[in-house]
Amino acid sequence: MNDMQWTPIGSEPLPPPLPATRVDFSGSRSEFRKTVTKGAMLELVTFGFYRFWLVTDIRRHLWTHTAIDGDAAEYTGRAKELLVGFLFALAILVPIYLAYFLIGIEFERWQGFASTPLFIAFYAFGQFAIFRARRYRLTRTVWRGVRFWMDGSGWAYAFRAMLWGLLVFLTLGLALPWRTAALERYKMRHTHYGDLRGDFEADGWTFFKRGWWLWLLSPIALFIFPLAPFFYAEFKAREWRWWLDGIRIGGVSLSSNLPHDAFYGLYWKVIGWWMLLTVAFAAYMGGSALLVVALTGVPAEEIFAGDNATKSIPMVVMMVTGYFALALAINIVMRVYLQRDLWAKVLETVEVHNIWAAADVRGSGQLAGALGEGFADGLDVAGF
Amino acid sequence: MSDVFAETPAQPVKPTIFFDGVSSRRRQVTLTLGDALEIAEDGATPVRWTYADIRRADGPPGTLRLAATSAPPLARLEIRDAALAAEVAARCTRLDEHRTTRSGVAKIVGWSVAAAVSIVCVVLFGVPLAADRLAPLVPKPVERRIGDAAEVQMKTIFGRSVCEDPAGKAAFAKLVNRLRDAAGLDDTMTAGVLPTSVPNAFALPGGKVFVLKGLLDKAESPDELAGILAHELGHLKHHDNMRGLIYNGGTSFLIGLLFGDITGSSAVIFASRSLVEASYSREAETGADTFAIEIMHALGRSPKPAAQLMFRITGKEGGSGLSNILASHPLTEDRLARMTTEDRPASGPPLLSDKEWQALKGICGSGKV
Repeated sequence: MNDMQWTPIGSEPLPPPLPATRVDFSGSRSEFRKTVTKGAMLELVTFGFYRFWLVTDIRRHLWTHTAIDGDAAEYTGRAKELLVGFLFALAILVPIYLAYFLIGIEFERWQGFASTPLFIAFYAFGQFAIFRARRYRLTRTVWRGVRFWMDGSGWAYAFRAMLWGLLVFLTLGLALPWRTAALERYKMRHTHYGDLRGDFEADGWTFFKRGWWLWLLSPIALFIFPLAPFFYAEFKAREWRWWLDGIRIGGVSLSSNLPHDAFYGLYWKVIGWWMLLTVAFAAYMGGSALLVVALTGVPAEEIFAGDNATKSIPMVVMMVTGYFALALAINIVMRVYLQRDLWAKVLETVEVHNIWAAADVRGSGQLAGALGEGFADGLDVAGF
Repeated sequence: MSDVFAETPAQPVKPTIFFDGVSSRRRQVTLTLGDALEIAEDGATPVRWTYADIRRADGPPGTLRLAATSAPPLARLEIRDAALAAEVAARCTRLDEHRTTRSGVAKIVGWSVAAAVSIVCVVLFGVPLAADRLAPLVPKPVERRIGDAAEVQMKTIFGRSVCEDPAGKAAFAKLVNRLRDAAGLDDTMTAGVLPTSVPNAFALPGGKVFVLKGLLDKAESPDELAGILAHELGHLKHHDNMRGLIYNGGTSFLIGLLFGDITGSSAVIFASRSLVEASYSREAETGADTFAIEIMHALGRSPKPAAQLMFRITGKEGGSGLSNILASHPLTEDRLARMTTEDRPASGPPLLSDKEWQALKGICGSGKV
């Protein structure tokens, strides 16, 4: 009977495990498409200033239609905050650019092209921006009347990102899983929901085991171009799943059974649209050239010869219009497929365990400013 | 029950949920619609929301999600029963006051168009004016520093050393000095020949002019080279480098501001920048040509040979699509035509003797580069 003492804990009578909770996404695709189409047009009319409102509308749509345990999330950020953040970022970035220019001159005097490494400083700044932008977004994310929030330092994050980046560079990309894991750990450990603290439990080794062969095969994609989207889709699906599996907030954990081929369709649809739009654009250009020739009676030779600018104006106008229409359409396609559809596809595979641990969380944390979003906008970096 | 006559709606089929904004506890509540909205959980004191304080929050379809300005900012009331939701919404007069309306969007559009128009005006009129006025005011040492940096870069590209053959150098110095005196530039300017087969010449900030050996090889007479040098001196005289620097920096910053990234990498920015900057640069080139014509006339020589040299190098340029609008220089054939009309028989002495010219051609030594 003494043997009984050595029975593994697992065989002791446990309360039956609570079923995992699902995450539901109920957003209507056509509604989202309408939002981004209208937004893209307004963006065009406003020379891009509408982007703050559009981004906010997109997030509001995605957040409110995402329900965890029956309760939908809410995005409380507002476009004006983003606009102000952008203006602040501008005020800080402009002197930095000026300083960059002056220091660059001193470096160049010393040695030709010696200022190139200064770009690295901007990369670090971009990492800082990514961290701070994430903080802004999280503090505007509310679920059950309690917000997410973040502490930690953007510069500490940027420093880690730089060191790991160097290692990835030196190992030709092999260290990437460990870099991702370390950075996620930093971000998640400084993420909170009310008084619950986040953590990230996935490790680089697991990620490496799931994707190393992609690293080996990637040179092939340089020669056989159509393979590249497959490789990228495989990589992204594996990364998403690994990332979701690692997320912890207090006692709550996530898991995902995202299949490895989940994104094939998405990426190929985007590529298909992209090719279709390019062909349409080429046809439009050809057609408009013929139209201009037919209407003005100016031979094609002269339209394209620039010595008489007034003759080429109709053509330039047609070209610019066509270019904007193309940019607009590509914008809509990217947002519908790569934001909305990807979001929905990932969420339907997510399971939330131990959600009861978040049943009575005390709210805390302060709102963070949108300066980070402004930097990210000004430096053209994105990330989560 | 404090308000006996308050209308108590029939118990809704779908539950009404309340989050008090302090804890994430999900409270199932019943609503009483009196002179204020009363939110009551079993066995707790009800929370009262004044109707005028109630605002709509973003909610999923089929749920009316409410917040109140007088409650904790994240307190939310979620009404899932359509009939009850309609009843509550009807009482809240200021429900949608805080949301962007159609006129709000019109305001955004209006202001951005105004901002865009003013940025475009500054790019087209303000920045060129600022560049023209500021460039001559840039202190000489600053200009020279920038020039030094550019010189190091150029030498990295075109070879480290300047051609040093003594006789050639003497001839080159004589030619440059005659042009410099005619141009009225001070003696801080320097000139040199770089040993590379690229046929070109350029001026750098801080009074530096470089001729590349390829150009020297193609030149058939001192006048051809002199015209080109005079053109580069024109750039120095007009401070074109500093003007270009201020102008390019200004426009790329402003156009980047318009389209939202300051580094200016996206295609629209690139396209509009090249268009605007090319026209500015063409203007500067035409100005330098005018200056070259004046100098050559002052020295009693014709400006035409320089244009012939250019034409020999580039060939006919026109007729190839949009590249003309984007070109940084006027077309060579146009420049040739202009210089031809300015052609006059020589009235001054030759700028270099035959012997000096031969020495200059050999400034980089006899070896091929």
